Amino acid sequence: MTSLWRILLLSAIWVASAPALAAEKPVPAEAPGPPGKTAEKPPAGPNQCLECHGNADVWDKDQQRLFVTKEVLAALAGDIHWQKGLRCADCHGGNPATEEVNQAHAEEDGFRSLRSLPKDYTKPPQPAKVVELCGKCHANIEYMRRYRPSPRTDQLTEYWTSGHGRALKATGDPKVATCISCHDKPHGSAEDRGKHGILAVDNLESPVYRTRVAKTCAKCHADEKVMAGYQYHGQPLGVKQYEEWRASVHAQALLIKGDLSAPTCNNCHGNHGALPPEVGSVANACGACHGKIASLFAETRMKHHFEQEKLPGCATCHSNHKIQPPSDTMVGMEGGAVCAKCHENGKYGATLAGAEAARTIRAGLNGLSDQIKRAKETIDDAERLGMEISVPKFELQKAFNALTNARTLLHSFQVKPVEAALADGQKVVTEVQGKADHALVEHDYRRVWLAASLVPVLIVIGLLLLYIRTLPTPK
Amino acid sequence: MLAFFVERLGLDAALALAAKKHVPIHRTTIFYFLGGMALFLFGMQVATGILLSLYYKPSPDQAFESVRAIMTEVDFGWLIRSLHVWSANLLIGVLFLHILTTYMMRAYRGPREFTWITGVLLLFLFLAFGFSGYLLPWNQLAFFATRVGTAITGVVPVVGKDLLLMARSGEDVTGDTLARFYSLHVVILPLCVFALLGLHLFLVQKHGMSVPEGAVERYGSAEKVPSMPFVPHFLLRDMVGWYVALGILAALAALFPWELGQKADPFGATPEGIKPEWYFLFMFQVLKKLPPQFLSIEWLEGEMVGVLFFGFCGLFVLVVPFLDIGRRTRRVLNILAALAVVFFVVMTARGLSDTVDDWFAPLEQWLLRFLT
Repeated sequence: MTSLWRILLLSAIWVASAPALAAEKPVPAEAPGPPGKTAEKPPAGPNQCLECHGNADVWDKDQQRLFVTKEVLAALAGDIHWQKGLRCADCHGGNPATEEVNQAHAEEDGFRSLRSLPKDYTKPPQPAKVVELCGKCHANIEYMRRYRPSPRTDQLTEYWTSGHGRALKATGDPKVATCISCHDKPHGSAEDRGKHGILAVDNLESPVYRTRVAKTCAKCHADEKVMAGYQYHGQPLGVKQYEEWRASVHAQALLIKGDLSAPTCNNCHGNHGALPPEVGSVANACGACHGKIASLFAETRMKHHFEQEKLPGCATCHSNHKIQPPSDTMVGMEGGAVCAKCHENGKYGATLAGAEAARTIRAGLNGLSDQIKRAKETIDDAERLGMEISVPKFELQKAFNALTNARTLLHSFQVKPVEAALADGQKVVTEVQGKADHALVEHDYRRVWLAASLVPVLIVIGLLLLYIRTLPTPK
Repeated sequence: MLAFFVERLGLDAALALAAKKHVPIHRTTIFYFLGGMALFLFGMQVATGILLSLYYKPSPDQAFESVRAIMTEVDFGWLIRSLHVWSANLLIGVLFLHILTTYMMRAYRGPREFTWITGVLLLFLFLAFGFSGYLLPWNQLAFFATRVGTAITGVVPVVGKDLLLMARSGEDVTGDTLARFYSLHVVILPLCVFALLGLHLFLVQKHGMSVPEGAVERYGSAEKVPSMPFVPHFLLRDMVGWYVALGILAALAALFPWELGQKADPFGATPEGIKPEWYFLFMFQVLKKLPPQFLSIEWLEGEMVGVLFFGFCGLFVLVVPFLDIGRRTRRVLNILAALAVVFFVVMTARGLSDTVDDWFAPLEQWLLRFLT
């Protein structure tokens, strides 16, 4: 029996049992439709798509992609589109109310095939058709406004500017990432039938939820087989980015501390318009979060030198994916400080004056750090002795803040502003140190006065005892 | 000069009473000093409490800051606060000993039943003083300990919910609770204590000092037991004790100033290892270790049984004079008292030390097998 005959036979069976099925599987009467023909249709009747697509007997081995399995149906229940009331025809088009296969899939009814002729169901859908299918709604502000007052509708436009979109447009590369690659499941496998389990971005299980983005990107970008042959500006794209990012301060903040503001892939590369930042744009990418540092850096001569030498801004000193927590040891000319890499040997036109500035800044940072450390130790000592010292302890935070400010200002690569910030911190820490020292002196003072006050107490006790001895013995 | 005041203030009656008052001399005379010591420490509480109230601000926004200011900015504020807290702790300890020694000497015998009852009620009032005062600095430890402590009232059957709302002045510990505890600490409890203490001292004067049965047997009758005049013999000895207590308090305040901790954060997580003051620790330990249900009966909740048990114990202690009606009941009472003292010491030690807690863990497991 051919597939066509099977479909006709099943359609006949369905017609006989339609009322019962309709009662069993109610479909939202006013399920919203996408723009275009489908949207103008009357409210959807029974969703007949699943009567065939949900029946395993209907499909040959080479058409298994068209079979909607129980697993796919289960995934659909969690799908954001399904939850919003959208059904098969709202994305795929066609007529869901008819049992006639050709009418159901008529292109004049808006049916959108994901494959070109001749259709090969053993392979994944064509990437460009997937993007266009999603974009049909997601790039339409009139339509998307139904679900959110100010929705994003620039994803499709952005996509075509991304590395993925450009490759797709230029070469039609079937491996290239499309919407479902990130929002649904990895594309490209022979078993891929499209799970349809697209979750809302803020759903913890979504592959594009903040904590999962990097892993989702890594499915391709950490796979040597997938990435083989891909280049950017003549350089291989590589597969170490995810591994490096996992070891970075950003990943630690996001994955270990649970700080959802910490950056993952899309914060620097963009998401729908994903592309590595150009050499001159690295500081802007970092500056999206580290705004003050970026604005200081933008005003420096160093920035222009970096651009002339094609050095990638912030990443020159801090690296790109494997960014480590910065420390004062990075500044200066000794002990592996990053400044020394250029200023030691005049590389890229680095000057001796710059080297001296680096040394001065490092000495200032070390000085304030040591002062803060000493003050903190004194406060801890006083606290251990039971002295109330919460106010100086709180004030010491201002010195920490001044130190942080100096560390920020050093990105201006000028000594004066850094020294001004350090001076603020030193003023605070000197006051705090004085109060902490006073607390220790006060503690000693109390002990002395305790001893002194016990003397009269003991004298009175002694006198009382002596007087008691002079009293007549009671009988 | 003295005659001037005696004539005008009618002090002759008081002087006559003082001259007439004698204190029996026997092996346990030293226990008589505990009452005077408690009175001295109470006086210390009143004096330091009044000084603290000059600077303390009972609102969630200012309470912690005002106590911090007392400790750092007010001259000798640190000393006053430390004296207040240390003397409160010593007072509770002395009261425990006073009650225990009074029980051991059977000083509650007729006609002194009400002297005992007023004494026990005074102990309860001072425990309430401790509980209400603990919250006043509005620090992290006190806030969460009060939250746990007041939650216990909620498990009392029938009236638990109302008791909880009354204690907290709402569903949770808030600024309203602080205001309520402050009022309790500086107005309601002091008034109750002054009234009850007045009655207690009056009864002590009326019935005189109780003479232990052993001393009565040894000398033939209570009248034949040697005694010393209250003034000046006993009073001067009492004063020696007060000066010793003053020296100890000064040393504790100077060497171990009472820490203030962190300001309460009602939205923060409960800090680890919160514990009540040492005198509530035995109850806290018991309630913590009781099984959720007794004998697997759903409505017989462990905490509820624990709270009812301690309520019953308090009532039992209160009516001890009326239960001591013969040799057999006395023997039972003595066994129960010994068990209560051992229980108090062991459970308090378990609350203070994890090592001690581990020692008794197997026994606890064995006992819980019969209760769950």
